[in-house]
Amino acid sequence: MNDRRTQGAILLLVGVTALWLGLTDAALAYVRGALRPPLVASGVALLALAAAAMLGRDPGGRGHGHGAPRSGWLLALPVLVLLLVTPPALGSFAASRQATQAVRASGDPAGVFPPLPQPVGGAVPLPVSEFVTRALYDRDRSLAGARVRLLGFAVPDEAGGYQLTRFNLFCCAADGQAYQLAVRGDRTPRQADQWLVVEGRWRPQPVSDGIAPSSVLPVLIAESVTPVRPPADRYEHNLYGI
Amino acid sequence: MPYHRAVAHWGGFSISQLETPARPEPEAGARARAGRLLDARLLLLLVLVAVGSRSLLADLLDGPALRTWSTIFVSITVQALPFLVLGVLLSGAIAALVRPGWLASVLPSRDLLAVPTASLAGVALPGCECASVPIAARLRAGGVQPAAAMAFMLAAPAINPVVVVSTAVAFPGRPGMVVARFLASLLTSVVVGLVWSRLGREEWMDRARSRLVEGDSRWASFARTAREDFLQAGGWLVVGALAAATLQTLVPRTFLDAVAGNHLLAILCLGLLAVALAICSEADAFVAASLRQFPLDARLVFLVVGPVVDVKLIAMQVGVFGRRFAVRFAPLTFAVAVASAVLVGRWLL
Repeated sequence: MNDRRTQGAILLLVGVTALWLGLTDAALAYVRGALRPPLVASGVALLALAAAAMLGRDPGGRGHGHGAPRSGWLLALPVLVLLLVTPPALGSFAASRQATQAVRASGDPAGVFPPLPQPVGGAVPLPVSEFVTRALYDRDRSLAGARVRLLGFAVPDEAGGYQLTRFNLFCCAADGQAYQLAVRGDRTPRQADQWLVVEGRWRPQPVSDGIAPSSVLPVLIAESVTPVRPPADRYEHNLYGI
Repeated sequence: MPYHRAVAHWGGFSISQLETPARPEPEAGARARAGRLLDARLLLLLVLVAVGSRSLLADLLDGPALRTWSTIFVSITVQALPFLVLGVLLSGAIAALVRPGWLASVLPSRDLLAVPTASLAGVALPGCECASVPIAARLRAGGVQPAAAMAFMLAAPAINPVVVVSTAVAFPGRPGMVVARFLASLLTSVVVGLVWSRLGREEWMDRARSRLVEGDSRWASFARTAREDFLQAGGWLVVGALAAATLQTLVPRTFLDAVAGNHLLAILCLGLLAVALAICSEADAFVAASLRQFPLDARLVFLVVGPVVDVKLIAMQVGVFGRRFAVRFAPLTFAVAVASAVLVGRWLL
């Protein structure tokens, strides 16, 4: 790709894609929302470089042996996958491949957690990751007796029930970790990846000593289950209290 | 290249065969061949878009495993993009604004001093590893000793303030982990830099262009350096993302539980896991924190190896420096990083 205009075209392609990701909700399936402004900025920079390449008068590639190598074409690949397939946010398949619970998304290492937030409309709204962490590690058992409201998607299990699941993302989907809890008391079979709002109460269990990740699934006794549309951001971003 | 021919290229077909060679340039034949190759590729791209459209590719990627694969592949690329752009903009700025030889004259002339200085300078680049590869190549082209440029490349993604803060957040109440990561990463970059200054050969870096742009205006040389570096490093970043997504989808995490009990195996496996997962250095601390079944020093190995050698970085180094460089540099870096992490971990953790 010694041709300056071809190089510019690839930059244009990637730049427009970066702008589109940064300016819409599309990026939220892959990265944290905080990355959207940098994506917009890099899109603008790439468009400026593309314009300079396509309109400028510098003798691109001539007299310098070689310009950019052919590998530059590979940049079209993620753009093609993105535009033609638009891969969905991580779902039940990815969740079922994680063996152990990724734990402790909040609270301090000694197992001390802040008090639960106030209930809204009769139940305490909690991120799935916080519910799981409190259920497994909170020595004060702040969940005991509280009616909570959780939003997540269903991952059916062999026994005919399902696990309510949500991915927690630190940076991008490559580091996404699934937080899961077993839902009991819902007779309706749920499809994989069906999004649900579940209200119910924690079934108390022994609290882990905090050494190893527990393979124990916290259990929620459901009192009401409502199928809902997926949220714009399907991930939680629970960075240890930040 | 004349304008009409450029247009013909972008149109996806070549008329270069029909042209009678106007001037007997020695490189005209090679150029025309390259042009036809290029046209073939463009044509393939267009055919893929036209015939394939959404349905074909969507069917191809419909299985749950492939869907997960494509999500992770796109995620790694999207996440790395702003950092890569930052890196090539800095690289372009160095090429355009810094007088050739100036950086080399600022650094101590002896590698023994230049390498640690370059490592410590890594504190000033708050990015992840994708940014530092093109910058290191540019430093190298600008006359900095290769060993110092390598040390900078290894240190920057591991010891900058953003990474230090995210490590502190991921390991609350364990300041030892933050200090150990900082020191072990610094040690790794210095040792690799010094070993490289002894044993490294210039000809292995056959792709590191010593090309300096002459006669261009500053803006033009900035734009061209940034553009070409972006295409070069970016293409190979895509290769790395393909490899990392494949490994993430194929290798089940369950095997980790099996090796966690054996200390030596645990250290080796977390080192290899860091290579395979290719997680951004600003996020890897959170993943390490969640690998709670592993001893602390094994998790330190994960944190020290990840920013200096992973599949994404290896691919970018192949592209930017050359294959002969990467096959020597990656194993050296891996071994030094594991050793540094174990030593520092034994001392501090």
